[in-house]
Parts: sequence; structure tokens; C-alpha cells
Amino acid sequence: MQAELAVGRPASEGRWPATVVARQTAHKAVRSGVLWGYVFGAYLATQALAYASSYKTVSQRAGMAKEFGTNAGISALVGPAHELQTVAGFTVWKCLAVLAVVGAVWGLLTGTRLLRGEEDAGRWELLLAGQTTRRAAAAQALAGLGCGVAALWVVTAVITVVVGRSSKVDFSVSGALFLAVAVVAAAAMFLAVGALTSQLAATRRQASAYAGAALGVSYALRMVADSGTGLDWLRWVSPLGWIEQLQPLTAPRPFALLPIAGLIGVLSLFTIRLAGERDLGGSTFPDRSGSVPHTRLCSGPARLNIRLMRSTLVGWGVGIAAYGLILGLVARSGGSALSSSASMTRALSRLGAIGAYAYLGVAFLMMAVILALVAAGQISAARSEEAGGRLDHFLVRPVSRSSWLAGRLLIATIVLVVGGLLAGVFTWLGAASQHTGVSFASVLDAGLNVVPPAVCILGIGTFVLGVWPRASTVATYCVVVWSFLVELMGGVVGLNHWVLDASLFHQMAAAPAVSPDWTTGGVLVAIGAVAAVLGGTAFAHRDLKGE
Amino acid sequence: MGVLAIRTEGLSKRYGSVHAIEDLDLEVAEGEVVGYLGPNGAGKTTTIRLLLGLIRPSAGRAEIFGLDCQRQVVEAHRRLAYVAGEASLWPSLTGAETLHLLGRVQGRVDDTYRDELIGRFDLDPSKKVRACSKGNRQKLILIAALMTRPELLVLDEPTSGLDPLMEQAFRHCVHEARERGQTIFLSSHILSEVEVLCDRIGILREGLLVEMGTLAEMRHLSALTIEATFEGPVPDITGVPGVSSVEVVGHFVRCHVRGTIEPLLKVLAASGVQELLSREPSLEELFLAQYGASSESADTPAHAS
Ligand SMILES: Nc1ncnc2c1ncn2[C@@H]1O[C@H](COP(=O)(O)OP(=O)(O)OP(=O)(O)O)[C@@H](O)[C@H]1O
Ligand SMILES: [Mg+2]
Repeated sequence: MQAELAVGRPASEGRWPATVVARQTAHKAVRSGVLWGYVFGAYLATQALAYASSYKTVSQRAGMAKEFGTNAGISALVGPAHELQTVAGFTVWKCLAVLAVVGAVWGLLTGTRLLRGEEDAGRWELLLAGQTTRRAAAAQALAGLGCGVAALWVVTAVITVVVGRSSKVDFSVSGALFLAVAVVAAAAMFLAVGALTSQLAATRRQASAYAGAALGVSYALRMVADSGTGLDWLRWVSPLGWIEQLQPLTAPRPFALLPIAGLIGVLSLFTIRLAGERDLGGSTFPDRSGSVPHTRLCSGPARLNIRLMRSTLVGWGVGIAAYGLILGLVARSGGSALSSSASMTRALSRLGAIGAYAYLGVAFLMMAVILALVAAGQISAARSEEAGGRLDHFLVRPVSRSSWLAGRLLIATIVLVVGGLLAGVFTWLGAASQHTGVSFASVLDAGLNVVPPAVCILGIGTFVLGVWPRASTVATYCVVVWSFLVELMGGVVGLNHWVLDASLFHQMAAAPAVSPDWTTGGVLVAIGAVAAVLGGTAFAHRDLKGE
Repeated sequence: MGVLAIRTEGLSKRYGSVHAIEDLDLEVAEGEVVGYLGPNGAGKTTTIRLLLGLIRPSAGRAEIFGLDCQRQVVEAHRRLAYVAGEASLWPSLTGAETLHLLGRVQGRVDDTYRDELIGRFDLDPSKKVRACSKGNRQKLILIAALMTRPELLVLDEPTSGLDPLMEQAFRHCVHEARERGQTIFLSSHILSEVEVLCDRIGILREGLLVEMGTLAEMRHLSALTIEATFEGPVPDITGVPGVSSVEVVGHFVRCHVRGTIEPLLKVLAASGVQELLSREPSLEELFLAQYGASSESADTPAHAS
């Protein structure tokens, strides 16, 4: 915090003291935007170049397009395909939906961090010090976030244009620029969503949860619209659907930018308005003060943890259940097309995977990612309890560090197992309702199969928490994102097997397409356990560290 | 003498090249009330966090009731309570929920005393912590510590943010605790508080314990202030043994005397002194003398450390 203040002071004494909030926000947003611009650009470039070099002939490309182009299950996951026989069509299909979700998550986290987080930390009070109104400050912060989006777009666009110049890829400059717009549109929209929920909620965590729920609903709507259920119009209800409607490179439709711009504008106006109507540090939704204390879960660190996490965990649980249900519903159509895919069939036929099983095997990667994010969230919560000084209250009382940590890890592990079970049960319910004919046991196994990587993440996170606490949150999320991106790219690009092996999700068997590999699962859990024990030991023997 | 409430042996803590605490030997007997003073950054909080096992010493060791502060934390913490100067609590809990939680974690709570404290500190326990002012949060952690009636109270600027009325309530509680034989280790920048409450005082400077003793002992070591008014001209007393910093204004003289005042008295009596006033130095004067001129602002409570 002191370092931040040191940065803040000279800025506020700069040439335009009245714009200090805008500059501070822009500074942080641009830094993050540039970084993610490189990630986006690299991902786009890898996909485009990989396709160009793996599918060289026209017939190869036509075959590929036939396999995947009309598949409802796959399009439910990543959106519908257009012109898969071209580099452009493939790149858009492979990147747009994925980067939209990644960008949306970046947007909502950045938005809530730079608005609610900064405010909660008391930095705004310092910066404002009566120089501007709350309303003007919110407008400035939004402008700062806008700079972040612009930076994200510029970096993504430059990389896309450069890659597009390659003769193998061959995107037009305007096409590449529009593709970059489409890719960052979700980030822009969810920055605005995060800015708005920052006004509604009373804490940053709550603000992120509201924004996350909005993203979940938007993803689910888009998924239903794209799953061949005849509800295509739903695409116009979901912000993620609008991005699909842009159809960059293949059939650009700039008019779909209208709802996107409209949403950003409306959310921004509401944000500014609400900011003016509430107090600094306050929330729009009333914060209930109870006259009856609820003490049932206030009797120890572990139970308090359950109480504080309750709503977040219920949110995740509903998300997992809903996602499982949708997967189950579309598994049949998804599966029938997948099994006609030559490469997939080759890979899966040895193990006898067909149809819906094969589809779910691919789709459950997302389940593993969700669960891993839950695990990372638990590490982040533990670290923030330490950094915020709240852990002190336990440790100066008869609570040992190891029992505090063990309590948290135990709860986290139970949460992960329950998450896995929910995934299995609800996927089965969805599939059974369509008479897809997948067995309950195999889907339940698939649900449990995504637990070991998440447990391993939990262990790795604990290790970092022990040895390098200030990096623990970032490092844990990085392991998840890294594992996910490597696994996503690996399938198409043919990455070096050392790189692939470093992805936790790559280690996981693609159940239920293949039967779960419990030995590998056990190894992942064991690695997690060893890491957790090492981290716990380090934690017990180090100084507590603040922010 | 029984076992000591607090004992440190060569306790040191380094942060990189900064020696936050160096070679600290501290002994606090059971039932004693000890004040712990020092300018900002002297190492008071560091000492306390070492005693609580929240940070690890670079060298040396510390004990609480004979229990090692690093290895027997749980046993040691059963017998103490701690109040920090800055209370970061769980914003979504109410005051009552927070007290319930901290009481349950500690294990034993005197419920009637807790309710009495809530009344005395005029706290509204139904409010969420998020909606509490800084002072009210501070009251909350004070009550949480006092309500367990611990054998040892470790207090690090416990009254920061409290209004004078509440500060009085705090002094009252410390008095009570002392009557009951509880040991108190109090770090504070409010010197009047320390002066009133403490049996012994330690002064820390740049990580070194430069002074440790009762207020009387410390006064003894330092100069007495003498003020005298004469009918006639003021005699020259600059040469008298033990006398220093002489100020003369008309018929009035003020000076400091160290050691015995007999030689000065003789001179004064011989010169027809009309009024004579002798004053022991206040803790503030002792403190400022000890800190030197560089820390004039030491009396204002510190913010974040
Ligand atoms: N985590 C840390 N990292 C680096 N240096 C630290 C850390 N904690 C304390 N210090 C340094 O140790 C020294 C002692 O700090 P400490 O907080 O103990 O002072 P204090 O006497 O409590 O001061 P105050 O009256 O302001 O509360 C200071 O120089 C401080 O900068
Ligand atoms: Mg301090």
C-alpha cells in the first residue's frame, strides 16, 4: 500500500490534478491490457499458423470443415463455425468464443479491481480529497478503463495484422482489425459490467460475483442458442451472442456492434449515476445490519470460512450444475458429429468411445477448468485473509497455523469433490432427459475425474502460499490459465510433449470418452498433497506477510 | 519470584539491512503493568509480533509464562490476549457475531463481563463491522481481548482512535485488570496513559532498549526542575554543582539540577529567595530528552506502521 501511495502522490500533483483518478486507472488498466493483448495475439497467431500448416490441401480443409462445421455440440461449446475450409473461418471459430470468455473474465476482474478494489483500499479517498465529485471520479475511472481496452485492442490488432500479412494466413488489414475488435468486445462489455456491479455491491468480492453471474447467464444463453435447439434468437439476448453475430473475417456484420456499444454506453451511464448517489465506500444495495446475530457458523476459523464463502460457493455450484445440464442436453447431437471426425475417431476408437461419450470427453475439459478456478479462488481467499490481517485474530488465540491451513484445505477439497459430483449428476440428468443413453456411473466418474487436477492446483497454491505468499494468488491462477491454454492449443498445434505434460489438464484422461485413469489421478492428488505439506511447513515457519 | 510473564533473551529481528529489534532482553514479572515506549519505527510492534509468534526472530528467543513463543504458541496463547492498533475485521459480520467468534476461538469468555464491557464502551453490537467507525472497531477488539480475562494482556496502541471518554473507560478496565493480578504489556504513544497506568516503563530507540525502570527510578536519574523568584537580583548559580540550563527572566530563574540539590539550596537561601518551586520531570519531558529533538512529533499517535 505504501508503494502505491508513493506512486499516487506525485501523480496527483501533476499538471492536471483533477484527472488523477483517470490517470491512475488508465495506468493500471493499460499495463494489464497490453499484457493480455500479447496473450490474445499469441493465441490468434498460433491457431491461424497451426491451421495453415496442418491442413495444407483443399481436400484436407474440406474434410475438416465437414467434420466440425455442422456439429451442434461443438458449436454449443465454442460457437457455430463458418467457412472452416479457410484459415480465416477456422481461426475465428477456434478463437472468438474462447477469447471472448477469457476477455470477459479479464474485464470483470479488472473493472471490479480498479473501481471497487481501489475504493475499498481507501486509495480513492486519498486521490480525491475533495478535488472532484464522486460522479466525475467514476467517469474518470471509466475513461481509464477505456484506455485499458484500447491498449488490449491495439496489441491484439497489431499482432493479428502482422500474422495476417503472412501468405499462408492472408487476412486483409481491415479484416484483421475488425477481428481484433470482435475479440476485445467482450472485455469491453464486461469491464462496464464490473464497473456497474462495483457500485451495486458492498465489496469487491461481491461485485466480482455479480459480474461473474452475469457472464455465466450470458454464456448459458449463447450455449443454448448455438446448440441447435431452434432457439437461435437467444443469440441476440446474450452479449456473448452479439460477438458471434459480428462474424469477423468470414462475413463481417458491423451493425452487431450497435448492441455492444449500446450496452457499454448504458452501463457506463448507470455507473456514473449510481456513483453519484452513494457514499464513498458504500453500496447501492442496502447492507443489512442484523439485530439477531447469526452465530451458528461463527465459532471457529473453518466454520467462518464456510459462512463467508457460502454465497460464492453456491454460485459456483449453480454454474457447474447448469453447465453440466446443458452439456447433457446437447451431448447427443454433439457426439454424432464428433464420431464422424476422422482424427477424433482414430484417437478415441481404440478405447471404444463413441457419440455422446466422445463429446462429453472433450467438453469436460471446461468442467476441469471451472473446478481448478474454484481451487485457485480458495488459495486467493486464504492469502487475502493473511494479507488483510484478519488471520492475526486467529493466530494470536489458541489456533495453530497448521490447523488453520488444514481446515481451509479440507473444506476446499470437500468443495471440489462436491463440485465434481454435481458436474457428473447434472450432466447425466441432461443427457438422460434426451435419452442419450450414457450410463450414470460413467458420467459420475467423469465428474470425479476432473477433481484431481483441481486438488493438485490447491496443493501447488498452498506451496506458493508457504514459500512466496505475495505471489500465491497470481501464481495459482497462472497455473490454471497456462494448463488450459496449453491443452487448448496442444490439440491442434502439436506442441512439444514436455510442454504438454506441464499442463495439468493434459494429464487428465478425457473421461467419459475414455475411462478415467485413476492412477494418474492419484499421482496428481499425491503431488498436490506433497506440495501442500511442503507449503504448510514453510507457512508454519515464516513471518506473516501483509499486502 | 515465580515464572516471568514475558522474557526475551537476545531477541533480534532484521528486515534486510534494517535492524527492527536488536539484542532485546526484556523481563516482565507476573502482575506487572509495563509501558513500552519509543518513537515511530522504534520496533515496538515488531517486539509484540515476535512475542505473539506472528513473525520469526532472526536471533534470540522469547517466552511467555515460560512457554516458547515460537514452538508452544497454542499453549502460550491460551493465557494471553492481544489488541492491535489497527483492527481489520470481517466486514460482513456484526459486532456481536465478531465477539462470539473471537470468544469461541479463545475458548473461555466471561459473558457477564462482556456485556458489562459492551455497556461501558457504549458499543452497538448489532451493527456490521463494515458500517462501524474506526473507533468502534477498536472498541470491538478491545472488548474481545478484555472479555476473556487473560493472564497477560498485550496491547499495541490499544486506544488509537478512541475518544477521551472511551479512553477513560479503557484506563478503568486496565486498572481493574491490574487489581485482579493480570499482567499488562502496553505499547503506546499516549504518555499520560502510560504514566498513570504503568509500574515500569521501557524506552526503545532504533531497536535498542535504552531505558527500563520505574518512573521514579527514571526521574531520579534525570534532572529536577527548580523555579525560584527573588526579591532582589538573581544570584549567579551557573557554577553550582549539578545545575544546568539556567534561564533568568528579571527576578525569576529556572534551572535543572541533577543529583543532590543541597549546594543549590544553600546559594538560594543566602540570596533571599521569595518563592521556590521544584518539579519532577513529566514522562513527556523524560521521553523527549531520551528521544532527542528529532522526534518532536512523538506524542501524536502513529498511523500505519
Ligand atoms: N515487514 C517489514 N518489512 C520491512 N521492514 C519492516 C517490516 N516491519 C517493520 N519494519 C521496520 O522495522 C522497524 C520497526 O518497526 P515497528 O513497526 O516495530 O515500529 P513501531 O515502534 O511499532 O512504530 P510505530 O510507533 O510507528 O508503530 C521500522 O524501521 C520498520 O520500517
Ligand atoms: Mg507500531
